[in-house]
Amino acid sequence: MRFNKSLKLAVNILVHSKLRSWLTIIGIVIGIAAVVAIVSIGAGMQQNVESRLGGLGADIITISPGGGRASAGFRGGHGGGMPGTTATAATAENLTKKDVLVLQSVGGIEYIQGTVSGRGEMYYLGEKATISIDGVDPLVWKEMTTSELESGRLLGPSDYNVVVVGSRVAKDTFKQPLTLNRMITLEEKAFKVVGILKESGGFGGDDNKIIMPIKAARDTLEDVGSDEFDSITLKVANTDDVDQIMEEADKKLMISRHLTERGKDFSIRSAKSTQETMSDITQTMTLFLGAIAAVSLLVGAVGIANTMFTSVLEKTKEIGIMKSIGAKNSDIMMIFLLNSAIVGLVGGLLGICLGTGIASLLPLLGMRMMGMGREGMTTAVTPSLLFFALLISIGIGMAAGVIPAYRASKLKPVDALRYE
Amino acid sequence: MVSNLIKLENVWKIYQMGDVQVPALKGIDLEVKKGEFLAIAGVSGSGKSTMMNLIGCLDLPSKGKIFLGGDDIASFRESKLAQIRGQKIGFVFQQFNLIPTLTALENVMLPLEFQDVDTSTARKKALEILNLVGLGDRVHHLPSQLSGGQQQRVAISRALSVDPEIILADEPTGNLDSKTGEFIMDVLNKIHRKDSKTIIIVTHDFYLVKRAERVVFLKDGQVERIEHNHKEQGGEFA
Repeated sequence: MRFNKSLKLAVNILVHSKLRSWLTIIGIVIGIAAVVAIVSIGAGMQQNVESRLGGLGADIITISPGGGRASAGFRGGHGGGMPGTTATAATAENLTKKDVLVLQSVGGIEYIQGTVSGRGEMYYLGEKATISIDGVDPLVWKEMTTSELESGRLLGPSDYNVVVVGSRVAKDTFKQPLTLNRMITLEEKAFKVVGILKESGGFGGDDNKIIMPIKAARDTLEDVGSDEFDSITLKVANTDDVDQIMEEADKKLMISRHLTERGKDFSIRSAKSTQETMSDITQTMTLFLGAIAAVSLLVGAVGIANTMFTSVLEKTKEIGIMKSIGAKNSDIMMIFLLNSAIVGLVGGLLGICLGTGIASLLPLLGMRMMGMGREGMTTAVTPSLLFFALLISIGIGMAAGVIPAYRASKLKPVDALRYE
Repeated sequence: MVSNLIKLENVWKIYQMGDVQVPALKGIDLEVKKGEFLAIAGVSGSGKSTMMNLIGCLDLPSKGKIFLGGDDIASFRESKLAQIRGQKIGFVFQQFNLIPTLTALENVMLPLEFQDVDTSTARKKALEILNLVGLGDRVHHLPSQLSGGQQQRVAISRALSVDPEIILADEPTGNLDSKTGEFIMDVLNKIHRKDSKTIIIVTHDFYLVKRAERVVFLKDGQVERIEHNHKEQGGEFA
C-alpha cells in the first residue's frame, strides 16, 4: 500500500477517534509545552548572561589572589571582593607591585591596573550601609572601565577625598538619592561625590560600588598593605590574543611567585572564560529543568501507548476486514504507526503553541531570576528549539505506537474477523 | 471450465481448546472448478465457516493440502497469503463488514489501494461497480447511512473491485429480509453468469442452496453428500 493511502487511513482513524485520543494528545501537549517553555527560559538566561558579560569587554583579563576557581567568578571585572574575609586571603599571598612589574613584561598588554577592594561602612544623612569599595588608579581606570558617566566626572590624577558612585548605590541604597557634590562618610572619612555612573546592569558592573583613588582606598580600608592589590586587571591590545596573553601572564606569575601548579595561589581569567563558566551554569540548569519537563513527556508517551493498545483492540474487527481484502501485515503496521505519529505531531504542534505562549507571557509576569539585574526574566524561543520539539513529539508518538502497531499487524485475520 | 481452481486434499482443522483438541474439519476432499457456483451447506458447527476461512486463505489447515490455482497455500507466508486474498478472492460477509468510518466509495476503493492501484483508476473502477449494483447515488454515504441491502451491495462491490477469480460469500443474505436477500442473490447470479466467476456461498438456508450448481453438505466436519442442481441447464432439481 502506498504511503499517502496509509496516511489517509491513519488520519481517518484519528478524526473518528473518541475523546480518549484527544485526552492522550493533551498529555503530549503539556509535556512539549513544558519543555519548550523551560528551554526558552534557559536560552533567554543564556542570552542575558552573554549580553551582559559582553559588556565587561572581551579584552579584559583579571588576576586575583586565591587558587583555582575561587573568588574571581561573579565579580568579574574587579575580582577579589572581600579581602580579610575570604579564605584565600588568609592563606594566599596578595598580589603585589612586584606582580604588576612582572606582568608589564608580557607583550600585547595595553593597560595594567592594580585594584584594592573591600567593604566599608558608609554614612549618609544619618543612614548607614555597608558598601563595596574599589580603589583604582584614576588614570588607568579612566581608560579601562566600561562604565559610563551619568553625571559629574570620572576620577582625576590629583583626586584624593573624592568618589565616583555606582548607580544603585546612588539611587537605591539610601532613602534620599545621592547627588553630585554631596559629602559622604566612609570608614570615618569624608568624601565628596564627583561622579555618578550609569546603570550597567550586568555582572561585575560597578552598580553596587563606590570607586575612589587607590591611595585613598589604602588609607581607608583595613587590612590593605601598602604595596598589595586585591586584583590586577589587564587590558589587551588585541582581543584575539587574550588566550595567549593569559597563558603567558600565568606562566610568568608562577615563576616570579615561585609556585608549582598545585600550590597556585592566584587565579587568572578573562571575561570570555567567565562567560563560558556562566554559560555552563545556565546550560546545566536548563538541562536539569528540561529533564523534569521530559518526565511529563514520558508520561504522555505512556498515555499514547495505552491509547494505542485500546485503539488496536477496538479496531480488531476492522483489522480483520482489511486483512481479508488484501492488507499485508506491513500495511496494518504502517497505518497504526502513522496514527500514533500523527497523535505525536498534533500534540507537538499544540504543545509548541502553548509553550511559546507561556514563554512570551513569563517575562510579563516580571519574575526575576538569579541576579539577572533589574529587568524581568527573558525567554528565547528559537526555530531550532521548535523543530526539535516537534521531532521529539513525533518520535515519542511513534515509539509509543510501535508495540501496539506490531501487535495489530500480527493479528490472525480469522481471529480478528471473529472479534466483536 | 474443466480445470480445478480449488482443490482440498484430506484437509483437517483442529482447534486447541485448553487441553482438548476439537476437530472442526476431518479429512475433507473437494475440488471446485473454475466458474462453478458452489454452495457449502450444513447446520451450525458443521465446519462450513472453517472451510470457507481455509479456502479464503484467512486460516491455514492443521493437516492436508489446499491448492489454489495449483499452489499449495499451506506453504505460503502471511504476506503471500495477503496478496492472494487481495488479488484472487473477494469476500462477502453476513455482517457486511464495511469499514464504518469510510464512505461507500472509499470502502470499495480500499482493496484496490492495498494493491497499489493509483487513486484515479481505483476511483473510476469503484464508481463503475457501484453504478452496476445500483448504488451510483449513494457513493458518498457512510455504511451507517445505508440500509442492510445497500450495505451488502457495497460489500459485493468491494469484493468485485479487484476483479477476483473467486467470490466467497458467508451467509450473504443472513442479515437481510427475504426480498432483499433475493435481490442480493440475483446480483451474485449475474456476476456468476456474466463474468463467469467462481462463486462459493456458505449457508444453512435451503432456499439459497437451490440456486447453486452444486451443493456440498457438511456434517460434523465431514462431507456428508454432494448434490448437483441442474437448474441452469434444465431446471431439474435434486
